[in-house]
Amino acid sequence: MTDNANLGDICGIESIKLGFFREVQRKITELKKSNTTIEQKRQDVQSILDGIPDVIAVLSMDLALHSVNKAFYSTYGGIAPEGLHCYQVFKGRTEPCSSCPVALALESSTQVARGLQILNWHGEKRQIECTASIMHTQEGKPHRVLLLQRDVTLEKQFQVKYFQAERMATIGILAEGVAHEINNPLTGIGGFAEALSLKLDELREVAALCNKTGLIEDFEEYLQTILRECQRCSDIVQNLLTFGHREINFHVTINLNDVVRNSIQLLGPRLSRLSPGIVHLELSEREPVVLGHPGELMQIVLNLVLNALYAVQEAGDVTMSTQIKGNMVILQVHDTGIGIQEDHIPKLFEPFFTTKPPGQGIGVGLSTCYNIISKHGGYITVNSEPGHGATFEVILPYYSD
Amino acid sequence: MDAYKFAIPEIIFGRGSLKYASICAQQLGASRIFVVSDAGVEKAGWVDKLFDILRAQNLDFVYFNDISPNPRDFQVHNGAKHYEETEADVVLALGGGSVMDAAKGIALVVSNKGDIKDYEGANHVKKPLPPMVFIPSTIGSESNISQFTVITDVERHIKMTIISRTLVPNISITDPTLLGTLNRELLIAPLFDSIAHAVESYVSPLASPLTEVQSRRALDLLIRHLRPALEEFRLDDLEQLAVAGACSGMAFTNASVGLGHALAHALGGMYDMVHGIAHAMLLPSVMRFNLPACTSKMATIGKIITGKTFATDEATAQAGIEALEELRAEIGIPARLREILPDNTMLPTMSRNAAKDICLLTNPRPATWKDILNIYYGVW
Repeated sequence: MTDNANLGDICGIESIKLGFFREVQRKITELKKSNTTIEQKRQDVQSILDGIPDVIAVLSMDLALHSVNKAFYSTYGGIAPEGLHCYQVFKGRTEPCSSCPVALALESSTQVARGLQILNWHGEKRQIECTASIMHTQEGKPHRVLLLQRDVTLEKQFQVKYFQAERMATIGILAEGVAHEINNPLTGIGGFAEALSLKLDELREVAALCNKTGLIEDFEEYLQTILRECQRCSDIVQNLLTFGHREINFHVTINLNDVVRNSIQLLGPRLSRLSPGIVHLELSEREPVVLGHPGELMQIVLNLVLNALYAVQEAGDVTMSTQIKGNMVILQVHDTGIGIQEDHIPKLFEPFFTTKPPGQGIGVGLSTCYNIISKHGGYITVNSEPGHGATFEVILPYYSD
Repeated sequence: MDAYKFAIPEIIFGRGSLKYASICAQQLGASRIFVVSDAGVEKAGWVDKLFDILRAQNLDFVYFNDISPNPRDFQVHNGAKHYEETEADVVLALGGGSVMDAAKGIALVVSNKGDIKDYEGANHVKKPLPPMVFIPSTIGSESNISQFTVITDVERHIKMTIISRTLVPNISITDPTLLGTLNRELLIAPLFDSIAHAVESYVSPLASPLTEVQSRRALDLLIRHLRPALEEFRLDDLEQLAVAGACSGMAFTNASVGLGHALAHALGGMYDMVHGIAHAMLLPSVMRFNLPACTSKMATIGKIITGKTFATDEATAQAGIEALEELRAEIGIPARLREILPDNTMLPTMSRNAAKDICLLTNPRPATWKDILNIYYGVW
């Protein structure tokens, strides 16, 4: 050790008793640096959390909110969450809910639990998928709970729509099958009725011989009725076949007037039970041609007419009109029914919104119309005064070659 | 050297000043004091007294006493571990050189980490130490004032000298009444240690007017009060010896020591002998070796010891050296190493060890390991 040492090392002016000032300064610099790093990391984590559109909340083990992300504030606006308990904030309750994903997660071996809850978001009831996962300390002890809330209302709606579509497709296939089955006997009936018509002249001669001319008139009338009804059946079958065919080319030019007429034809049995002349048609003289899907467009018309009929109940009118205005084809369905409450109007095209009693509708009709119309580049609006009926107006692009 | 530096701790001196231990520790920011002492001081009752003082101020403390004379490196490491485990802060040492040197070693290891031997030599301490309040229970080491600590490396059989300004305690409390519980046997060795400090610091190349006055004053007080103190054990004499100790400490912490300490460290490392006794046996021979290099200063020493001036400086110096030998004989300390060591086989090894000692750097006359062996042989 003496090798490198010199007298200055033992008693040099510059060799001083080391104090903590420099040490503390160095430590402070180190701490500041690590603090900056940690703060940046914290910021990053917070940014990640804030970037997630789902509501994220970290709960302490006593269910008090520890921290939340940005989506929390936009969803539960006006709430200062710190110190509040989850059941107060999310459910407006004063004590923990009987069974919730948090409790399930704590009991579960995987320490993660998921559950569907109806929560009030932005002032309305939404279906929220809540996922709770337990956060642990370094020692592996349960420490906090990470609660994730995802609005799955739309997914659920899509799911319902999907099921609906599946059902419709099945019905379509059935209808197609039924149509084919009916078509054959119908062809037979029609064919033989035609054949009988050809025999009418011959029969008239025979009848004249027997002095039974009145009989021939009956025959003529009945055969015409048979043929007319056969034609009607054939048309209905044709409509059913069109409605069932979902895969056909989207880009088909369609005369909206035909769609309206066909719809009315399909509704014939139903309309026959109502007072005659309940539905008025005011169809455009120029052909309101649009590019679209015949089945889907028929779905719109059917929906609107059925709604109108439901609104007018026993007494009232339903007027369906088509017109061409510039590049627009306008379909209006007007009824003189009970009308729509003002506060219902904004929600009218939302899925599952219905004013019908349970069992009479699930509230997907107008939302489906809305989606179909949107898909066709169109728009649907409604005007209503309670007690004075309602007018639905569908605007579609006019197809003019 | 055209500029001098004189660095010492804050010194509290006076009868009953032990009572300031708690206040001092508190002022240094103590929340849990690491008290270091040993069985001997406990037996004298001073440890309990200190505990009472600390308790009176409601100060929290932990205690470490696993320290032997010529403290070992592993004891230092055990102490440092204990310090860390107990989350202590201020180091409060109450005891002789062994206790205080061990306490310094502990403070050094807890803040600088690693092994105590990593810091052997001068100026290798890189980080500040925990605050230190040192209360000597005897004189001789003056570790309470100095920038030195000496720890035995058990494996190498050497006493490592560690020098650093950072090893200077923050506060030294010297209460002369503590010397009252010593006995004649316990006081002899420290007295010779102090004489060696006074003499070696005086002739050191690092000596300055500021240290020389302390060296001379220390030697003067020692010579005048040593005999009456050993005979009557009166507090007045003991107090003057305590002043002498403080003076020698202030001198050698700044001027360092020399060949005598290098030889004593090598001897103590090999044979675990009492440090002061080693000085009593070696110092006259070391002074003779150094005489040609610092005749005038040796003469001053001779004059202080004998009270007389002879025709030449050399004669005055020689008279002083002889007087020390007489004093040694009078007190009953052996003059020859052969009287206390088992054999002389280790002398060459000790010589080589001594030649590496940092203290040799501040000896007025350079000494090779052969010069050192020559001195050992002479004392054998």
